[in-house]
Amino acid sequence: MAKTVLVVDDSPTMRQMVAFTLTSAGYQVVEAGNGKEAVGKVNGGAKPDLVVTDLNMPEMDGITLIKEIRKMPALKFTPILMLTTEASDDKKKAGQAAGATGWIVKPFNPEQMMAVIKKVLPG
Amino acid sequence: MSTDLSHFKDAFFEESQEHLTTIEEGLLQLEQRPGDIDLLNRIFRGAHSIKGNSGMFGFTAVSQFTHKMESVLDQLRSSQMVVTVAITDLLLQSLDCLKTLIDCARTGAAPDEAHVAALGGRLEACQGTPAPGQATAVPAADERSLPLGTHRFTISWAPPRYLFQRGLDPAQFLKELAGLGTVTHLALDAGRLPVLTELDPEQCYLGWTLELETGKDLKVIDAVFDFVREDSTLTIVDNPVETHPTAAVSDVAKPLGEILVETGVVSQSQLNQALSQQKKVGEILVEQKVATPEQISEALKKQSEGAVPAKKAETPSIRVDTVKIDRLINLVGELVITQSMLSDLGSRFEMSQLPVLLERVAQLERNTREIQERVMGIRMVPIGNAFSRFPRLVRDLSGKAGKKIQLILSGEETELDKTVIESIGDPLTHLVRNSADHGLEPPDERLAAGKPEQGIIRLNAFHEGGSICITVEDDGRGLNRDKILAKGIKQGLIAESDKLSDEQIWMLIFKPGFSTAEKVTDVSGRGVGMDVVKRNIEGLGGTVSIKTVTGKGTTFTLKLPLTLAIIEGMTVRVGQDTYIVPLLSILESIQPKREMLKSIVGKGELVNVRGTYLPLMRLYDVFRLEPELSDPTKAILLILETEGERVAVMVDEILGQQQVVIKSMEQNFRKIEGVAGATILGDGTVGFILDVRGLLNIARQGTAKAA
Repeated sequence: MAKTVLVVDDSPTMRQMVAFTLTSAGYQVVEAGNGKEAVGKVNGGAKPDLVVTDLNMPEMDGITLIKEIRKMPALKFTPILMLTTEASDDKKKAGQAAGATGWIVKPFNPEQMMAVIKKVLPG
Repeated sequence: MSTDLSHFKDAFFEESQEHLTTIEEGLLQLEQRPGDIDLLNRIFRGAHSIKGNSGMFGFTAVSQFTHKMESVLDQLRSSQMVVTVAITDLLLQSLDCLKTLIDCARTGAAPDEAHVAALGGRLEACQGTPAPGQATAVPAADERSLPLGTHRFTISWAPPRYLFQRGLDPAQFLKELAGLGTVTHLALDAGRLPVLTELDPEQCYLGWTLELETGKDLKVIDAVFDFVREDSTLTIVDNPVETHPTAAVSDVAKPLGEILVETGVVSQSQLNQALSQQKKVGEILVEQKVATPEQISEALKKQSEGAVPAKKAETPSIRVDTVKIDRLINLVGELVITQSMLSDLGSRFEMSQLPVLLERVAQLERNTREIQERVMGIRMVPIGNAFSRFPRLVRDLSGKAGKKIQLILSGEETELDKTVIESIGDPLTHLVRNSADHGLEPPDERLAAGKPEQGIIRLNAFHEGGSICITVEDDGRGLNRDKILAKGIKQGLIAESDKLSDEQIWMLIFKPGFSTAEKVTDVSGRGVGMDVVKRNIEGLGGTVSIKTVTGKGTTFTLKLPLTLAIIEGMTVRVGQDTYIVPLLSILESIQPKREMLKSIVGKGELVNVRGTYLPLMRLYDVFRLEPELSDPTKAILLILETEGERVAVMVDEILGQQQVVIKSMEQNFRKIEGVAGATILGDGTVGFILDVRGLLNIARQGTAKAA
């Protein structure tokens, strides 16, 4: 069965690109425009095998979203990747401390993104 | 697998426009609310998204420049810097520069690099220390940079206990390592396992030691542990292996077939035969159903075209609220249900079921109308998009004209057709400029007149019947009747002897070449603009009107149809034919008395409507029809108005009122004077939509001929 990826980003372009890359690679994609929406999607029954989230977002940012997800019993061990432009380690560390699995640094090309996803999502 | 993301460029440009607007609006509001963190965050996010997205498409000029803006914004929101007018100015200038850069990225034009660099320098300078960060992240290590030798790595790894809680799986790491080469040895280190009673199954206690033979170098192996390096105990020992010298020298390995032929295992022809049976990648992919034949041939085409992708024509797109689409889909569902109920009824219809049939048809009508409205709604966007440019414009204008101006926007949520919105931007800009420059007085003059120093320009939009009204209102000096009149006479637009109503005098300012500004400023006064405003608005089927009170201010009101594709029309009959008259242009309909009619030599027929003589047009004369009634006192006169001129059009009968979809005459037939378009009527016949402007022209030519 196709794995489901929850893609969270406030930029529709970025969301579409990530979603397009993932669907082309055979994944199912659930999209959300911010953390709050993402939590809503999960509470509404979405069962992602992987979460890919931006950090800077309105309503609920990525770090808070990661903490929220880690609190959910069903998603306790689900890999979460952050999309980040910051080359600085601060954000990465903050994300990891919140429970993020890893990160994808923007800009990335589809191959780079898929490489990171293959890293954390059992095939 | 290579996924092409270039077709998301359009989406990027469109989204960027929104971010640019957000940033601009934010920066302007920031002047009033310098400490508003939410606002700063919103501006920051806009810049951040542009930076991130532009990097994805390789628009490095854009992402690098945005990065510099973002750094300043970041310092502002973390209170390391204070919002000052100088900084807002700089950011606004940078925003303009960013707009240009994005435009350049879209069109492929070369930006003014000196300007970009200068602004970039100022952005960096204002932060005190130059920002060390680079906009574009370091590209991922090129994994194809193979070292010559093979390595045998000894890797021992004890992951952090919390491994699972971060969604990591140790097996994934082992698999990834195995994918890089050959694991020759693997040992499990269970030394950290506690006694069973203390074991927390959600923790990771295990460690691994393995040997890996690979062509990759240390950097690649190390990168595997990117996400866990922090708290892992990790040692990677590199034991370079002496490799076969020949293998090391050749960069590209020889194909297997070639070696086999060289060593005499197979002959060249045997090899060729084997190769011919080999399937092409595309065929295999199609068989595996991961790609369609179309996609493959598309990709092959791209391959043969070389690296340069064909430049796609820009197609206008529109972003639609998903709620709107969902509703539409629901409605289509209902339509399908109604349709199936109808066909069910039709298959075994008896006359006794007539009421049911009528009810279903009524339902179909409801569905259709609602779908029509919703589909129209898709093209409807809030006018706020067109308003958003004005805060900046007014700010710049007040600076240039040395006036204090407050802009008040309201009704931004009012929706209208996207094409209409796109076309009213320029006329509105002219009106706002006009109000700022001509309407509002300089501060000292205002104070002398007992008004507050700060002038107000108000932009408002609201629905009124089937149209939308946009008003541009100022509290300035009002239009000067005598000045306009004098100027009109001087420019020969009117004769001194002409008796004009106030309204007619105000309309003079819309005449080409008219300007009363004593001195030409940078802002307005070139006499270009107001006539264009009127022409543009009328081109959209709208009207402009002016209300003014001396010393109190002026209000321009634009009245526009909600959409250009459908109009509200009155259906009228002339003989056997049906015509549609745009409802907006109908003032009233009358049945004249004999004494109201006059026939004047050289002026044709006239009808006296409450003291005003209007030209009377018999529609059957214009279109050479056979009328039922030729006596005006028995027929109906429609009083139509456009651009302040009126005409009475005679028809046999008014049939009713309905919405009609305009079909172009030019596209389907040819232009006909007096006809704006055609539509399909309920009974399937074609009805012509009258063009009131054209009818007035005909009336004028008719009287000219008669004279």
